Amino acid sequence: MSTPEPAPTQSYEQAREELADVVRKLEGGGLTLEESLALWERGEELAGVCQHWLDEARERLQQAAPAEER
Amino acid sequence: MTAPSSPDQPWPVRTVARKVADWIGRLGEVWVEGQVAQLSRRGSATVFLTLRDTAADLSVPVTCPRDVADRPGAALTEGARVLVRARPDYYVARGSFSLRATEIRAVGLGELLARIERIRTLLAAEGLFDAHRKRPLPFAPAVVGLVTGKGSAAERDVLVTARRRWPAVRFAVRHCVVQGPSAAEEVVEALQRLDRDPEVEVIVLARGGGSVEDLLPFSDEGLVRAVAACRTPVVTGVGHETDTTLVDHAADVRAATPTDAAHRVVPEIGEQRRLVDGLRARARALVTARVEQQERWLESVRSRPSLAEPERLLAGRGEEVAALRTRATRTLTHRVDLAVRDLEHARARVAALSPQATLDRGYALVQTADGALVRAPDEVADGQSLLVRVAGGRIPVRVDRQDGQP
Repeated sequence: MSTPEPAPTQSYEQAREELADVVRKLEGGGLTLEESLALWERGEELAGVCQHWLDEARERLQQAAPAEER
Repeated sequence: MTAPSSPDQPWPVRTVARKVADWIGRLGEVWVEGQVAQLSRRGSATVFLTLRDTAADLSVPVTCPRDVADRPGAALTEGARVLVRARPDYYVARGSFSLRATEIRAVGLGELLARIERIRTLLAAEGLFDAHRKRPLPFAPAVVGLVTGKGSAAERDVLVTARRRWPAVRFAVRHCVVQGPSAAEEVVEALQRLDRDPEVEVIVLARGGGSVEDLLPFSDEGLVRAVAACRTPVVTGVGHETDTTLVDHAADVRAATPTDAAHRVVPEIGEQRRLVDGLRARARALVTARVEQQERWLESVRSRPSLAEPERLLAGRGEEVAALRTRATRTLTHRVDLAVRDLEHARARVAALSPQATLDRGYALVQTADGALVRAPDEVADGQSLLVRVAGGRIPVRVDRQDGQP
């Protein structure tokens, strides 16, 4: 499971919404093996996207830090 | 305090003089009205006169410095009625008492004040002093216009104070006379020049303290109208806190003193910086908090079993498969056993039905070409080919009746 290197197309909120949905489905059960595997993979990918946006936010905050803080 | 005096312990004259001086000094500054008498300007630096009570037959000697006496508003002439601001003074050397005057106003002054009042009511009626005309001052003007006396204390106060507060401020200064008959027009002219200058964002009228006459030009109708007509906001810092001149009413902002005017026109840089830094820090904290909150959320989602331990998904399935597998194998082997048993039965039955055993005992079978069994001689014809099957195999034969029997 590799997080997509180029900037993800999804916005943070979209990814977060879908991830929450994936988890709900996985926990809901009643899925075929194939479906749960596919869903799990999707979940990992979405988590990667969220992580990407949050890391970027951190980065931008750091860059914009006032001079004396850096 | 010195010990009380007594015949055997008398006070020297100097002590008595000093005590008298103290007592007299307690009176403090007073405004007194009276009539000038025995005015003598002989002395170079000091003028002596006697102030007679307007009603009672009483008088008191008055001394005052020459410039106080010469001031136009004083109109100090024999018999003139005057208002004197003075302090009691006891000249210890000669033990003489007098009032030392710091300001003398001709009672005629009343008319001056009355005139100013008339102008005020006139202009007020025209709405020149209305609140809604007052314009807000620019927050941090780049260029401040200043109308003031050349090299005056007022000028220094405004420039020094403003620059300390907001070093970036620039001044466009117009010097002019700030006292006497020509003052009003000069101030108007300077004011209008600065008003026309687009760069000037606010104009300060600054003048130090002075008597009513000194400040008279700043209640001149022409000047007050000019101030009201200014497009650029005007701040007046004229006289002491207590003095009010008509320009103060017309100005957009009335400052108590020139220094106060400087406080009004430019913000204090340190204060502004602190304000900005404070806001910046708060914004940063808010965003950081938001990011942290989202990170915590992501962490919680990722630690949910369904994501964190995918193998759990498979684990359950694994057992299921294994269970199914064993059941499958069990049913399969069972079936195979049955099949084997059936086969054996079948074989046994075939074996039982099959002629082989009989053949083995030496019997033989005769079949026609079409496989039918021959049970009687008359079923075959001479020369017919037949098949004889014995235990070991088959023998093809042909019928050859020797004696022609059917």
